Amino acid sequence: MWSTAREVAAGDLVIIWLTRDLAQPLLITPGKELNSKFGVYRHSDLVGIPYGSKVGSRNGKGFIHLLRPTPELWTLALPHRTQILYLADIAFITSWLNIKPGSRVIEAGTGSASFSHSVARTVGATGHVWSYEFHEARAKKAREEFTQHGLDDIITLTHRNVCKDGFTVIDTVDAVFLDLPAPWDAVDHAKKALRTDRVTRICCFSPCMEQVLRTVTALNDAGFTEITMYETLIRPHQVDVVPPLPTIDIIGAQLKQAEARREAKRLRQIANSRQARGEKRKREEPNEEEMPGASTGDQAMDVGAADAADEEMASSHKKSKLSETESLATAVATAAVPSIPAASLESITPTKISLSKAFPEVRGHTSYLTFAVLVPRSTAPDLSEEEEEKASPVLTNRDTAPAESS
Amino acid sequence: MDSGEGPSSVSQPEGTGATKIKLGDTILLRIPSGDIRTLKLEKDSTINLGKFGSFFSNELIDQPYGLAYDITDKKLTVLPPKGLQEVEDTDATNELINDGQAVQPLTVEEIEALKKSGLSASEIIEKQIEQHANFQLKTEYSKEKYKKRKEAKYSKSFSTVIPTLFNVCEYWFNKDPSRLRDIRPDTLSQMLNLASIRPGGRYLAVDDASGVVVAGILDRLGGKGRLITICDVDSPPAYPVVTHMNFSKEFTTPVMSSLNWATADEDYTPVLPSSEPTSGSYKSDAQKTRLNKRKIASNALFQTRDELFNGEFDGLIVASQYDPFSIVQKLFPYLAGSASIVVHSPQVHVLSDLHGKLRDIPGYLGPAITEAFLRRYQVLPGRTHPMMNASGSGGFILHVIKIYDDPNASSVMAHRHKVKKLRAENTSNTGTPTPVQSKTATPSPTVIEDATMTEAEPMKDHSTNATS
Repeated sequence: MWSTAREVAAGDLVIIWLTRDLAQPLLITPGKELNSKFGVYRHSDLVGIPYGSKVGSRNGKGFIHLLRPTPELWTLALPHRTQILYLADIAFITSWLNIKPGSRVIEAGTGSASFSHSVARTVGATGHVWSYEFHEARAKKAREEFTQHGLDDIITLTHRNVCKDGFTVIDTVDAVFLDLPAPWDAVDHAKKALRTDRVTRICCFSPCMEQVLRTVTALNDAGFTEITMYETLIRPHQVDVVPPLPTIDIIGAQLKQAEARREAKRLRQIANSRQARGEKRKREEPNEEEMPGASTGDQAMDVGAADAADEEMASSHKKSKLSETESLATAVATAAVPSIPAASLESITPTKISLSKAFPEVRGHTSYLTFAVLVPRSTAPDLSEEEEEKASPVLTNRDTAPAESS
Repeated sequence: MDSGEGPSSVSQPEGTGATKIKLGDTILLRIPSGDIRTLKLEKDSTINLGKFGSFFSNELIDQPYGLAYDITDKKLTVLPPKGLQEVEDTDATNELINDGQAVQPLTVEEIEALKKSGLSASEIIEKQIEQHANFQLKTEYSKEKYKKRKEAKYSKSFSTVIPTLFNVCEYWFNKDPSRLRDIRPDTLSQMLNLASIRPGGRYLAVDDASGVVVAGILDRLGGKGRLITICDVDSPPAYPVVTHMNFSKEFTTPVMSSLNWATADEDYTPVLPSSEPTSGSYKSDAQKTRLNKRKIASNALFQTRDELFNGEFDGLIVASQYDPFSIVQKLFPYLAGSASIVVHSPQVHVLSDLHGKLRDIPGYLGPAITEAFLRRYQVLPGRTHPMMNASGSGGFILHVIKIYDDPNASSVMAHRHKVKKLRAENTSNTGTPTPVQSKTATPSPTVIEDATMTEAEPMKDHSTNATS
């Protein structure tokens, strides 16, 4: 498959990671240049650099990451010829179909070969993939790709309409994957291709429920069992690193402070204006009645004290200028007292926390995955009418008995 | 334990996962109730499935996995595979069926008596249907369900479950998800694909999930390649899930070795008892064998250590109860460039924390957290719908790629940002305030910080609004 050497060599396919959302394949061809908005790179400069390196642009502006291709990266970077399969479906299908090193697998159609690369990786050199594509141009492209990626030994590509003409192998494969508009037309062909000496599996990939229902009927008629259907998706999460959420104690304290400051400011303004007026009056009327200063201060601290203070102001033409300013000063001092609790202050300082939530927009549906199993036909007993009745005792309606047991 | 190279040629695919039942296999049996029993297949014994009957163990030997059997007189007959049962639509509804009515005159005792008299499951069910007061009122679907339920109760049959990775993982997950640290079959398959496990590859794994990850990696290595696991005990780790895969010794021993957090520490020299006789010569043959064994074990340990410290592993999978950051940082030096790091956790919190730390460290490229969603459907003809019961979560996966950083490489964006910043400063100087933060839906950290740092400055607005 792709290079497993430590360093990049001429002729290697590498994945150029530009950003989280932008990766592209690059065939290292000395003499060529990679020109992107992330800088300029000579292919020859990339030769000999270890896979996984961050590489700076020739002009010092921008960089790229040089990654070793994996089927998962290829899925992100590949040229789309068709709608492609993504990780969630590919991984789940691989697992359900029990595809592993040495497995022999049929895939139809090839499409953009996202699934093909992943399965080829998993079956390895001891396994094999037969891939079928009915669209000639796409088949040609895929063939070129497989050759370029060193997959000729693992993948056999055939340009053919399998619904009409069936597969090229008989009694050979462990698993069949059908990504076709009408998979039910290929079910009987698939049965012939599946090996008869052991349990084999099939998966049909269809976006619509109506397709699923037709497929299920076809699978049942062909003798497949354990028919089941799944839907799988990947929900990506985003992470924000933020300071710990502040407690309401802090907000409360802040509000109290603000209130006190506001009150102090108001009192100061009153004092200032009074002082101005008092000075004026002083000149006119030097003797004045004294008022207890403390009460003014206490009232200033009360909620709704503003009203009281206003009344007071209205009726306090005779107040001594001196005591008035004194009481206001104490009011200002007491008003400033509420402070943020020390403990909560501590908790909001530096340490940050990571919070995650699901992305606002995600893929909501890809396709339904219909699976079924075919048990070894050589070991299934050839049942006579009598035995069949005994074997599936609960069936009262003869028509509902398994249509196929041999 | 060996030097690290797998066997040069892979055994037949048959060796990688049993297709036939062998003596000594740990097998899974699905009984009519839908439950799964597990047992080790021993010679000449009787396997008892309780009310579903019992049979001779030898009957199963050399049978292919995945068949269904009927039990009669402790002997097995292969049952034909069951197809889907078409149900005819009728006009029947449950309009006339009321809850709590006594509809079944047959008592439990009478049924027991019928069973003892040797009647087959189907005959008993027929009797029950005959006696059932409202059976004919039921819809066809309902009748079908009734028969299925009774069948699950009385039939003496079972089927063997093929030990595929999917089936084994599913069995363990259904039994007790916490022992698998919530790794569901779909999550496991995503982890194996993200780590790009392939035959011949070299991987590191930290598996505190009963060995489900180890089982997965071994399955995908196909007997070729290398797996070093790091565990938290000083004896070889128990990976009970692996037992159900029924791998042969030849399939796993050349491939897998284990170290623990002490022996995997480069600065630490393991304390091992001497394998040389103290007197200079062996006292007895027994001592010689014992010391030789010791020597082989310690050699293997040092070889595995060397192999780990020489690094260049293709990937790392972590499913651990320990702080993943400490694990990833510890094993990071032993990974090759472009290696995949996959960390699973049942809690997203653990991974978001890890994500927050890794993204500030050069060397980790594109950390991403995902959660797998899986929904299974019943696809009976005319009765297709999602299953009523489903698993809530298969946990979360963080995937990140190891890179070799180049501190001198500077971003194109850095240059652009400088220009932007200058521009931004110019515009802000002209007097337009920047209340941009309020647009973001999430509580932006800077807003909060401002509020606390600038001493209730924003409160001014409120106060002026309130008093004016």
